Amino acid sequence: MSLAAEAFVSQMAAAEPWPENATLYQPLKDHQILLSDHASSLSVQAYLRMCGLPVQVVCRYNAEYMSPSGKIPFIHVGNQVVSELGPIVQFTKAKGHSLSDSLDDVQRAEMKAYMELVYNMLLTSELFVQWCDDATAAEISRPRYSSPYSWPLGNILAYQKQWEVRRKMNAIGWGGKTLEQVYEDVNQCCQALSQRLGTQPYFFNKQATELDALVFGHLFTILTTRLTSTELAERVKSYSNLLSFCRRIEQIYFDDKKLMKD
Amino acid sequence: MLVAKRPNHNFAKIQPPVEKSAAFPVLKFIFRLKKMAAPDELFCWEGDWDLPSVSTDCLVVLAYAQFAGAPLKLRKICNPWRSPGGSLPALRTNQNETLSRPSDIIIHLRKQKFNADFDLSAKEGADSLAFISLLEEKLMPALIYTFWVEPKNYVEVTRRWYAEHMMFPLNFFLPGRMQSRQLEKLRLLRGDEHLEAGEELEKELYRDAAECMNLLSQRLGSHKFFFGDSPSSLDAYVFGHLAPILKCRLPNGKLQQHLKSLDNLSDFCSNILLLYFPRDGREPSAQKAPAAPEAGDFDNVPNKRRKQLLSALFALGAMLSYALLTGMVSIQHGHQEALEEPPDPEHIGAHEEEGDG
Repeated sequence: MSLAAEAFVSQMAAAEPWPENATLYQPLKDHQILLSDHASSLSVQAYLRMCGLPVQVVCRYNAEYMSPSGKIPFIHVGNQVVSELGPIVQFTKAKGHSLSDSLDDVQRAEMKAYMELVYNMLLTSELFVQWCDDATAAEISRPRYSSPYSWPLGNILAYQKQWEVRRKMNAIGWGGKTLEQVYEDVNQCCQALSQRLGTQPYFFNKQATELDALVFGHLFTILTTRLTSTELAERVKSYSNLLSFCRRIEQIYFDDKKLMKD
Repeated sequence: MLVAKRPNHNFAKIQPPVEKSAAFPVLKFIFRLKKMAAPDELFCWEGDWDLPSVSTDCLVVLAYAQFAGAPLKLRKICNPWRSPGGSLPALRTNQNETLSRPSDIIIHLRKQKFNADFDLSAKEGADSLAFISLLEEKLMPALIYTFWVEPKNYVEVTRRWYAEHMMFPLNFFLPGRMQSRQLEKLRLLRGDEHLEAGEELEKELYRDAAECMNLLSQRLGSHKFFFGDSPSSLDAYVFGHLAPILKCRLPNGKLQQHLKSLDNLSDFCSNILLLYFPRDGREPSAQKAPAAPEAGDFDNVPNKRRKQLLSALFALGAMLSYALLTGMVSIQHGHQEALEEPPDPEHIGAHEEEGDG
């Protein structure tokens, strides 16, 4: 989002309270959405629930093209559209809802750093597994991504997406990595998160912050999504405090509808 | 011929000022002796602006090696094609493997027991990983922008530096190619295919970078290093990303202004330069001092003689080929023509007969 638009949005946001008819858009849940998009969408849902802000989830096959930044998910509140967790956190803050106000400077710095850790390692690993592992790309990602479109268009869009992600991986130096190395990165990231969490209920003790929402969204999605191999979920499962952290957040904030099937 | 061999200070045999694991000094010493027999070779970009190297990735690796006391054979070069991996930095291990990602090099050094993170608790290790991610996500894009995309900075400083330090034919196209690669990287990182230099983008990137620096400054507080009294890999990463901003004088120096306003972070960088790279601080200034009176023009170009000779040869070649192509000068193949000239009448006759038949 451009700066001018952002300044405008935060000004507008401050003026109006949170409406009842706020909507969150994401791709079709059953046969289109991919692991990484689902994780991002769940993070935003968890964040809004932690803030106590009601939002209605709407699935649209063209959600990616409706989003102002081209990224999933985005929320439509009043007459404003905001995409991705970072800007959404800013947006709710302007409306007077914040989870991290009670943190001191050092804690806030650490929270931001751990959020970047999730983006930098967990999200990138999800994208890598989705698009750079040939088996997963052929069996899951490309068919699901192209499912709403008819024959030639679907294939073209899916290959275009795959090509873009692979170029990004090359640019950030992940091009030469093997699947095993990426799993090792996931393991390292989970280990860091697990260490940081320790025995606390949330990352910063008693109160949930946006970091908790982000970590929950990604770990929960990894744990509950079936891929060609269970390797990714296995890496997360070896950290028992992260598992109970996911379960606790699900129970507290998603009690109305059971997310975890087993 | 390009490899800048510096026999006296190539060999980074620096001991860390704070010994990490005092528990097994003898074992460590023996181990180190064994390693010294065939040290790993580290290829890096040359230094300038009082820095040991101009590239962030090289600085990270150099700083880590100094912190951990790893004995590396250092080769500072200005031609990425001379590096075994085709890019810089690159580490050639004594098993003849080549590593080029800074994180891979650090992991390799750690396996060789040159571990600057030995004293860190598990939680501190986790914090390191998180803050390194913060640097890569928030500061890296702004660094790419300020050195490679911002038009004034790129033309007046970055391209000029690389063009002046590379050898003759490479200096014409390599800086441009490096720039297009960096621009491509920034585009992919931002997910914007048509990203161009502009005020809006600059503001956004610099805002993220400034926020990142503020967070680092808050985390550092009044400590000397991020975790206690001795430097770790996080300090190496922070130093590598901030030192070029602090030391390089760019026409558009907004990042530098912001960094200088955070006293503890800029002191942190100067401190590491002073403690771990004392030689690099003095060397360039010593070189520059005598050159100062004539530095008004572009005279202090390395390999000046050779470049002059090559350009003269190139000009001569161009003039000659022009003359030849336009026919101002022609070369008579007198001797050869004389041999070819008399056609064989009998042979031609034979041909014609065959054709008739």
